[in-house]
Amino acid sequence: MHISDGVLPISVTVGGYVASAAIVAWSARRTRSEELPKLAVMTAAFFVASLVQVPFGPTSVHLIIPGLTGALLGPSAFLSIGLGLLLQSLLFQFGGLTALGANALMMGLPALVCGWFFQRYKGRTQLRQAIIGGLAGAVGTALAAIILAILLVAGGEDFFGVAKIALLAHVPVIIIEGVVSAFTIGFLARVKPALLRPSFLRPTKAAHG
Amino acid sequence: MTIIQRGLMVGVLCLFLASSPSLLLAQTPPGESSQEVITLLKEQNSKLSSDLRRIQREIAALRADLDKPGLKEVFAGIGYIFGLLGVAAFVAARRKE
Repeated sequence: MHISDGVLPISVTVGGYVASAAIVAWSARRTRSEELPKLAVMTAAFFVASLVQVPFGPTSVHLIIPGLTGALLGPSAFLSIGLGLLLQSLLFQFGGLTALGANALMMGLPALVCGWFFQRYKGRTQLRQAIIGGLAGAVGTALAAIILAILLVAGGEDFFGVAKIALLAHVPVIIIEGVVSAFTIGFLARVKPALLRPSFLRPTKAAHG
Repeated sequence: MTIIQRGLMVGVLCLFLASSPSLLLAQTPPGESSQEVITLLKEQNSKLSSDLRRIQREIAALRADLDKPGLKEVFAGIGYIFGLLGVAAFVAARRKE
């Protein structure tokens, strides 16, 4: 689902860079230094998850896990996804360097939304956390597909056609990501619940280290 | 007949045997079976071109495989991530002191 070089017009490319730079700066300010190891691990997981290919018809799609990243990292997720995407485009040739800003928006915004959603509705019981986590994982990918469609519309495509194709192509990924996120978050809720408390709801003062 | 002569004879015979039957075929005078030669050549040509197609397909598949990121890239990326965030953690820890 990465956008390649030359697909988007220059205005969208530059706009994507500016917007994602601003959000990365905000995300970095909200990241506390004690959370850096968690950030590193989740960034590595996000980076590698794109190699998990799911065969789908003639082509194959891969996992993205913006929802899981957002649920675990909260506001830091955008920073994590930006770094992961930069390395993916440099090392894997997934998505172009010029489209990096747009790609970061496409996967980072769902992560933030899912992080907020998970934080807001996760409740207390492990089962509920797993279910909400799975929902967040599924919604994250669906949102990414919709943002992809919006970005492509800015490049002059027909919105509903693109949105339909993007969503349809990612139906298997959405399902698989929901299951993976539910299992991961259920496991973490049982083993290390402290990991599931990203700092959306904490006081913002002295947030950066 | 000296030994050298005998050796030469054996060598020539070996060369003759080692040369492929196509050489024999090429040596047959043209005219009497040129039609045969043409059909043979055509057969050979189609076989070669089908072989070539197969090899081209294989090269394309290989190129697609090469485009896929390997283990090296994966570990390079993980190393970058841990390294960069390690530097960030170091700077953050220094600032806190």
